[in-house]
Amino acid sequence: MTTTAASTKTRRRRAFTRGDKFTLSMFLGVPTFLHVVWVWIPAIATIGLSFTYWNGVSLSNIRWAGLANYDTIFTAAPQFYDALRNNTYWLLWFTFIATPLGVLLAYQIDRKIRGSKIYESVYYIPVVLSLAVIGIIWKFMLGPGGLVQALLGYPEIERAIPIFSNYDINTYVILGIASWRHIGYIMLLYLAGLKSVDPSLREAAAIDGATEWQTFRKVVFPAMKPVNTIIIVITVIESLRAFDLIYIIYGTSTGWPILGMLVFVNIYGQAASMLGAAYAVILFLLSIIPIVFYLRTVFKDDVA
Amino acid sequence: MSNEVTENGVSRRTVLKGAALGGLGLVGGGTLLSSCGSDEATGPVTFTARTNDETGLKIAQALADAYKAETGIDVTMQGSGDTNAFQDGISQYLQGTPDDVFQWMAGFRTNFRADQGLLADLSDNISNLGDQMPEGFVSGATNPSDGKQYIIPTTWYPWGLHYRKSTMIELGLDPENIQTWDDFMKLLEGTQKKGLIGYAMGDKGGWEAMGTFSIINTRMNGYDYHIDLLNGRAKWTDQATIDVFNQFAMLIPYMNKNFLDISWDGMRDLLLQKKCGAMMMGSWWANDFLAKSQEDYDDLWIVPFPEINPEFGRDSIDAPVDGVSVASNGSNVEGGKAFAEWIGSEAGMLAAQAAGDTSLYANSRLDTSGYDAFNKQKLAVIGEAKNVMNFLDRDCRNDFAGTIVGPAIQNFLKAPKDVNKIVDGMQEAWDALPPLE
Amino acid sequence: MSGIVQDKKYRDRQKRKDFFITVFIAIFAFIWMVPLLWTFFTSLRPYSDVIQNGVFSKPSSIGIQNYINAYDRMEIWEYLSNSFIVAIPAVVLTLFFGSLMAFVVTRYSFKFNLYLLLLFTAGNLLPVQLVYAPLFKMYIWIGELFGNRNLLYDSFIGLILVHVALQMGFATFVMSSYMKTIPKEISESALLDGASVFRHYWNVILPLLRPPLAALSVLMTTWIYNEFFWAIVLIKSDSKRPITSALGRLQGEFVTDFNLLAAGAIMAALPTLIIFFILKRQFVSGLTLGSTKG
Repeated sequence: MTTTAASTKTRRRRAFTRGDKFTLSMFLGVPTFLHVVWVWIPAIATIGLSFTYWNGVSLSNIRWAGLANYDTIFTAAPQFYDALRNNTYWLLWFTFIATPLGVLLAYQIDRKIRGSKIYESVYYIPVVLSLAVIGIIWKFMLGPGGLVQALLGYPEIERAIPIFSNYDINTYVILGIASWRHIGYIMLLYLAGLKSVDPSLREAAAIDGATEWQTFRKVVFPAMKPVNTIIIVITVIESLRAFDLIYIIYGTSTGWPILGMLVFVNIYGQAASMLGAAYAVILFLLSIIPIVFYLRTVFKDDVA
Repeated sequence: MSNEVTENGVSRRTVLKGAALGGLGLVGGGTLLSSCGSDEATGPVTFTARTNDETGLKIAQALADAYKAETGIDVTMQGSGDTNAFQDGISQYLQGTPDDVFQWMAGFRTNFRADQGLLADLSDNISNLGDQMPEGFVSGATNPSDGKQYIIPTTWYPWGLHYRKSTMIELGLDPENIQTWDDFMKLLEGTQKKGLIGYAMGDKGGWEAMGTFSIINTRMNGYDYHIDLLNGRAKWTDQATIDVFNQFAMLIPYMNKNFLDISWDGMRDLLLQKKCGAMMMGSWWANDFLAKSQEDYDDLWIVPFPEINPEFGRDSIDAPVDGVSVASNGSNVEGGKAFAEWIGSEAGMLAAQAAGDTSLYANSRLDTSGYDAFNKQKLAVIGEAKNVMNFLDRDCRNDFAGTIVGPAIQNFLKAPKDVNKIVDGMQEAWDALPPLE
Repeated sequence: MSGIVQDKKYRDRQKRKDFFITVFIAIFAFIWMVPLLWTFFTSLRPYSDVIQNGVFSKPSSIGIQNYINAYDRMEIWEYLSNSFIVAIPAVVLTLFFGSLMAFVVTRYSFKFNLYLLLLFTAGNLLPVQLVYAPLFKMYIWIGELFGNRNLLYDSFIGLILVHVALQMGFATFVMSSYMKTIPKEISESALLDGASVFRHYWNVILPLLRPPLAALSVLMTTWIYNEFFWAIVLIKSDSKRPITSALGRLQGEFVTDFNLLAAGAIMAALPTLIIFFILKRQFVSGLTLGSTKG
């Protein structure tokens, strides 16, 4: 609809003046140039480099490696599978626990319970904090001399128990910290969406004897389709891109390996090699799925 | 075996030991190096200190100030920020807009970057320093691929068992007299019984525990085997290597439980706060004890790691050499070279010493007779060893040490029973490395 | 009659349910705040207390000494201003470019409009690590071309541009969605008046874009302020570090004095917290603008 209206318009106007042509080409050209040169060309270059041996210093040292980097990752890098497992845990946790909790919170806060405005802000605060700050905050909670250590009965630094490095629990610890932020994010997104759902619909459904769950499933959820799409994409993309929090807590020591960190360690560090590029491409291929899903959902009207 | 690091261990281990002892005898004549700096060496110089702690920054600033006072040349000093992050990003740093001079370390990390053309050749400056720079340090600083030097050695330090004398007296233990592994076990047990950590460990950085691995390897299998292992001539899957891991595992019960949650500085604090008995570490942080109080510093002591296999006794030690390098992409390379040379000279090292640097100096003119008791002990600990190593992550390819050995040792500390699986993974990773360029 | 009874029953049930839910949410909210409150408490007490008397000891003094120290010794102010030197131009440029793109693709029908939008939106979702290595080389290379390696690498300009390039996709997407809700007649009258493309954008469209611009500016300021990766890999000089990446450094430097570090962390968090509380409405609408297509 949009496009047809505009096209009749432009057709009627026939040609642009030279000034308009210039303006339009600048309007489109400058941002597109910046985006393509800064994002897409490097991205494509990384894909190419993933098939080479290179230490990232002198261009003349680039040598063809074929699939060797990928071969190394799949056959001789046990960390890769740890990372894949951790990213999967992250995704599963976000999908089945954190995101539904955020939705549930939003749904309940939306009932205008007493103090809902305050709760809204409280749950949202972690979202506006930098992950660098979040990492430090949680070290005060869980590290030696931290609140949780003291509550567990280990207040002295020398008796501190391992939490971040305890492999029985640290997955939950990391995911818990990540959820601290994610739940608030999802809640606020959903809450904003819920406000656009006509409240009388819900009331009517309840009076008709529908249970809360039925109301949600049959009335609210379908009305929230655009928000649902956003939430699914955010959940998947965040799970794949996770990096900051792990960097702050574990540094580059890969104490809890994830793909984002493996890319970083292998492409940036003193051990830079195009193994990192291959990791980046794997991460990219995994991200493609939600990206395409998102683009299809969002732009399907325009394509049709 | 195209992916071996060409190491210069043979020349280094023999000559450096001579330097350690020889250095003791030489007394500085007080002459300042007048030849330092060529005519072109003017204009302000920038300088990055590879540290972020206050003591280290104070010493670096003192170097800058003293150089300014002597030559009139301005030096802008800045800290590197998080040391591990700085080391990680060194290649990018040097390709970009590095400071002219930066504190760095000898070994593979220097030679690799020199081969990439990122470091300025300091051979002339080393020869300007003449007899101030003992031969052992020169050979240690020499890049085997072209025979030139890209780092001016300044200080070095031994890796050994550190402890507080007062703690051990309180416990009624005497670490100076431990000779064998059994003695050592008794010491750890004695410490732990009194409620202290027996063997402090913090391996969050991934490199700290390499020191323990290396020393056990050299004690059990000897220096040659260790160097062979790091360069692919021996295998991680060898029974000899697995034995090293198993020996290492015997220490785990005496460690603090959160060893993967804390880094080297966490370990240092355990010792500083008298929470632990012994700690295997290099002594570069002794300055921090001095910064706390003279009393704390005087309480600090170091002894060699005990003998395991009598065939090798205590004949090897990690004693990394630190120094200053000049970035070839710096804005004032000539000025940087002159400043780097000055830092390595007697005048520079005296300025560092005056600012509270308690290190062992490479410069032979420094009056070692004035060394305090702890420094003399450090020299003695080095002097006892026949073979001197740089430290695992400086003796080995960066893309193996940091990304493979580090995490592998962490995994081992977590699950010592998995040792076979872990060494298999390490060997696979080594075999999959691309050839070095 | 029965309708009213049922209605009452429903309301009673709802009331009881609401009570339990409120209690639950309140408890949960308290737990939610504990980490932040604890950090705040930690920042108010001296470090020596914790070392000597343990975590739960009664503080010997409560005060802002740690904040004064953090200000003096950590140069927090410098890092904070770096953050804004980067974030403000980055946000302004992102929104400017985003509005240009949105304007063209929704008001003019070029064949490639949709593909441009797809490209921008997808670019916004790429993993940043995929971009890093060649971009670094490119920065050095462009710098050498202009005789100044510092032009983009280790410079505010380089950091700003990478933020703009990556965030532009989101801004474009949100604003083009919004613009589709603006009636075409407005544009038509402008065009019939013979207004130039520039005037059409500047005088007609831009004023209408105020709501999404307000919302996006708040959202993007916090995003860019909190960004971490690019500041680590592209900024070398300590004096140019934004606060979030500087915190990493301070964490190493002041690792022994975590009360001081707590003060630093709180100070780093303050700007975004203040922005959030003052401009909460914009914040919320910004988040949903992209999702509720017009």
